[in-house]
Amino acid sequence: MLDALPTAFLFFAAAILLLAMPQGRLRGVLLLVVPLIAGWQVWSLPFGELVQVGFFGFELELMRVDKLSRVFGLIFTLAAFLGNLYAWHVRDTVQQVAALLYAGSAIGAVFAGDLITLFFYWEGTAIASVFLIWARRTEGAYHTGMRYLIIQIGSGVILLAGTALFYRETGSIEFGQMTLGSLATWLIFLSFGIKCAFPLLHNWLQDSYPAATVTGTVILSAFTTKLAVYALARGFAGTEILIYIGAIMTLFPIFFAEIENDLRRVLAYSLNNQLGFMVVGIGIGTEMALNGTASHAFAHILYKALLFMSVGAVLFRTGTSKASELGGLYRTMPRTAMFCLVGAASISAFPLFSGFVTKSLILDQTASQHYPIIWAILVFASAGVLSHSGIKIPFFTFFAHDSGLRPREAPMHMQLAMGITAALCIMIGVYPDPLYALLPYEVDFHPYTTGHVVTQLQLLLFALLAFAVLMRTGIHPPEIRAINLDTDWTYRRLMPRMLSAVSKGVAAVWTGSATLILSGISGLVRRLYRSHGPEGRMAQVWPTGSMVLWIAVLLGVTLVVNFLS
Amino acid sequence: MDKRDDSGLPPLGRMMLWVDKPGSVTKIIWMLTLVCAALFAADFMYEKHGHFEVESIPGAYGIYGFVMFTGLILAAKALRFFIKRPEDFYGDKAIDREEYPADQLDKVDHDA
Repeated sequence: MLDALPTAFLFFAAAILLLAMPQGRLRGVLLLVVPLIAGWQVWSLPFGELVQVGFFGFELELMRVDKLSRVFGLIFTLAAFLGNLYAWHVRDTVQQVAALLYAGSAIGAVFAGDLITLFFYWEGTAIASVFLIWARRTEGAYHTGMRYLIIQIGSGVILLAGTALFYRETGSIEFGQMTLGSLATWLIFLSFGIKCAFPLLHNWLQDSYPAATVTGTVILSAFTTKLAVYALARGFAGTEILIYIGAIMTLFPIFFAEIENDLRRVLAYSLNNQLGFMVVGIGIGTEMALNGTASHAFAHILYKALLFMSVGAVLFRTGTSKASELGGLYRTMPRTAMFCLVGAASISAFPLFSGFVTKSLILDQTASQHYPIIWAILVFASAGVLSHSGIKIPFFTFFAHDSGLRPREAPMHMQLAMGITAALCIMIGVYPDPLYALLPYEVDFHPYTTGHVVTQLQLLLFALLAFAVLMRTGIHPPEIRAINLDTDWTYRRLMPRMLSAVSKGVAAVWTGSATLILSGISGLVRRLYRSHGPEGRMAQVWPTGSMVLWIAVLLGVTLVVNFLS
Repeated sequence: MDKRDDSGLPPLGRMMLWVDKPGSVTKIIWMLTLVCAALFAADFMYEKHGHFEVESIPGAYGIYGFVMFTGLILAAKALRFFIKRPEDFYGDKAIDREEYPADQLDKVDHDA
């Protein structure tokens, strides 16, 4: 029966059902059961194009199931389950509905076989997800949400424009492999690039994720950007420019992450950096590189969610996620600290953790396809990941100096969500074969060779040693209460300033010309007054008209008198 | 109760208190140095199958990791000089200045 129902509709139906339920555990159960059913459905669906719908003369493909869409569909349902488990305590209808609609839209987009369906779900993710930011219900979150929404909707509008042009060019709306060249494909590429947080288009990510609610950020972190990665892998695999875009993406966020104080923003920068690895894989475009991208997206969603969960738990218990205010929390939140360390080890790609078995597929491909500089950048970026996500997040939250905070351990459901996610990170790292079997192409790769393990450990542990030396010598920059400028400065500061300068200019011209015209008119009035006013020369003689009137009146009176007498 | 009183901590937390004992950090760093030395030595023990010439240099990854990590931190420090701004740079209505709404949190101390 489930074969005929698009997976996304399960989530939408659940969102409606949820509204009919009373607030409480029943809703929590629904929020957990739906992703499980969806996951089971995705797992058991046959490959092929399963659901078609007619739409204004177009045939829309709602369920294109193949190995690439299945692996993303599966991880999205898993992420929805873990996110909702983490959010078990939330009693906010807005967030519950938004989480369902958001996950449903993302999964719908993954299975979309044509560009029009993709567009609808693309905008769906934008609209549903902004409520996870607005649900914080502060003025700052409202403004951040607005900026987020404008950029996300903008991405959708560009996608629609690209789709229209693409249809005019090719007569098809199929969402398949495209080649950059025409305006249509460039627009579609740009639209994907915005959601994927390409360099200079990235800052919505770091701006908005720290603004969402504790649980909202965990859910946000899974879908939007990985949907964009999927879309790029589907549409632009082997597009060489992606290799360079991806390499820059791995590189620049590590510098920003290093000096950022808000740990949820550090994680947003780190997310950006991880996307870079996936984008490089897409750019290389070989079967193994695409395997690398898909598996890295899978592993990444888990360990990134785990890191956001652990920092979220700290925020939930202490009210802050700023590194300058935290430290020493391992005493009272030891389990959260352990889970955070598992996430940190996974993202840093330590052997036996998930990042190691997935990222190495991409790194291996950059080397074997002869991109030495890109390879060197990615190895450097791997050390960079260690610095902010591997060290900074756990160290400055749970260790380092004692902040004096003694919060209680995270609530049980959060621990459970973190525990399952951490277990998955380790399972993938220790035994990657089941994940490899899910990948779009046959995997012929063995991550656990002596050379690979030794070199990776060397890279990471020597970097760790460098950290120890820099901390001991006091060279490592301290965590301080401050923000850092990024490209959001252009639209939060520069453009408003420019607009205000322009509006001042326009206002000056307007007032100037108005004054000029008004003074002209009042001069005219003054002159008229002088000639025709009571003191005016013209008033000194009676005008002819009034004489005629008085004569007429006199004649009339005479007539009446004559008539009466 | 004194916040810094370590009694009543969860067992796992008590076990980890070792890291804050005087001298522990030095021990950890020495252990790390030893492991690094062992990894460096391990580079002579197996046959390398790197894609690039540089990978055959003993300890290539270690040196690269150490140097680039240090470079990264120094560069980030320099970057901070240019882009650091006060928290209220975007005004008081930005999330960096706001308190997280307390009604959405559950701030409890461990001994409450």
